[in-house]
Amino acid sequence: MKKALTFISAALIMGTVLTGCGSAKENNTIHSADDLEGKTIGTQLGTTGYIFAGDIKDAKVEPYNKGADAIQALKQGKVDAVIIDSEPAKVFVDKNDDLQILSDPFAVEEYSIAYKKGNDELGKKLDEALEDLKKDGTLDDIVNNWISDSEETKSYEDNNDDVSAGTLIMATNAEFPPYESMDHNEIVGIDVDMMHAICDKLNMELKVENMEFDSIIAAVDSGKADVGVAGISVTPEREKNVSFTSGYATTTQVIITRKD
Amino acid sequence: MKSFLENLHDTFIVDDRWKYLTNGLKTTLLITFFAVIIGMILGFIIAIIRASHDKTGKFKILNLFAKLYLTVIRGTPVMVQLLIIYYVIFASVNIDKVFVGILAFGLNSAAYVAEIVRSGIMSIDNGQFEAGTSLGMNYSKTMVYIIIPQAFKNVLPALANECIVLLKETSVAGYIALEDLTKGGDIIRSLTYEAFLPLIAVALIYLIMVVALSSLVSRLERRLAKSDRG
Repeated sequence: MKKALTFISAALIMGTVLTGCGSAKENNTIHSADDLEGKTIGTQLGTTGYIFAGDIKDAKVEPYNKGADAIQALKQGKVDAVIIDSEPAKVFVDKNDDLQILSDPFAVEEYSIAYKKGNDELGKKLDEALEDLKKDGTLDDIVNNWISDSEETKSYEDNNDDVSAGTLIMATNAEFPPYESMDHNEIVGIDVDMMHAICDKLNMELKVENMEFDSIIAAVDSGKADVGVAGISVTPEREKNVSFTSGYATTTQVIITRKD
Repeated sequence: MKSFLENLHDTFIVDDRWKYLTNGLKTTLLITFFAVIIGMILGFIIAIIRASHDKTGKFKILNLFAKLYLTVIRGTPVMVQLLIIYYVIFASVNIDKVFVGILAFGLNSAAYVAEIVRSGIMSIDNGQFEAGTSLGMNYSKTMVYIIIPQAFKNVLPALANECIVLLKETSVAGYIALEDLTKGGDIIRSLTYEAFLPLIAVALIYLIMVVALSSLVSRLERRLAKSDRG
């Protein structure tokens, strides 16, 4: 009897703790980029959003390990806004009815493939293959397949079994839909399909390695991976450590807030 | 390839990046200090409840709670506990993250401290209790004046070790975007894309703190040993 009572009281205490702390989510106060001054901004560590947020006057920048963690903090009222790349932002907002993307784009950037400095032979091959994919429309098809809701698009299919030129190791961070994310224990997305297409052109086999975003450049620099493809935009700091191909997608940094 | 000096300059000097480390160090020390205090106080209370139950059979319900607490805290990783406190228990409250860190690491440490102190209390010979009783002391007096002082001396090395473990465990605080020492190094790494210097610097700072802490404890141990006979 005593035991039962103890357990009931324990359950009651747990219940109050879990529900009792609710309430008091602040209303959204951000309606344009100018309103960010002095606010708390969630970002993903190592992204350009983190660097941009640092330039905002008096803003408190919180570096989360994952974009999704920053979004969760935003939903719970722990940060006032999240600055992140536009495509993942769309996916996050799609999945969360209480969030919105502000119409002011924050900064325009271009994604590129990173490769080890000095490996110009690989860089040249990557650039050529990328150029071919842009010309024959393969790249557009891949992007459309992931971005549009239309049923007509089809996913990229491997059409070259020749892997005589060896393996290409791609470092990525599968937390960045639609460019790369986990699906049934597999890393999928625009970047993965695009690299598959490039590897088919180069007669290589693609191997994808998942890691933290801020480790990708270091992995390429140290030779642990041949290329870094993770929606990486070119910044002067990054160019000091790795080389980049020409851009394959134009994107913007956007501001996500809670709905009014 | 950049030269070592250039690297050093990029890692620490440019944009005052060393401040990430010093600010992070402040946060780490703050969390560790208050977590140790919470852990010690709560740990001692739990240990006394558990030991008293073992010796006298009192505190049945409290003992049950204490056991449940120890099982849950020791059975789950501190990182998961930290995330649960931040994202589940304080889900819709905008709470200071340093406080969340102190609470998570303090509650975690309390469970380990409790078992260390309990083993210390149980290691004191029953004759000491009987001696206290025969001098006319009641149970709580015997506990406070005779048992705890001896037990404390016995478990001091283990308690110091727990403090050291706690200090190093706070390195997972970065998972809730808390800018502790490890996260400070990570931020520098994310800005310079150089792994070597920030990581080595962070490791060295932890090492220096642990060595300093160990030497403090061994001095305290020597000081306490003066009252030993022989």
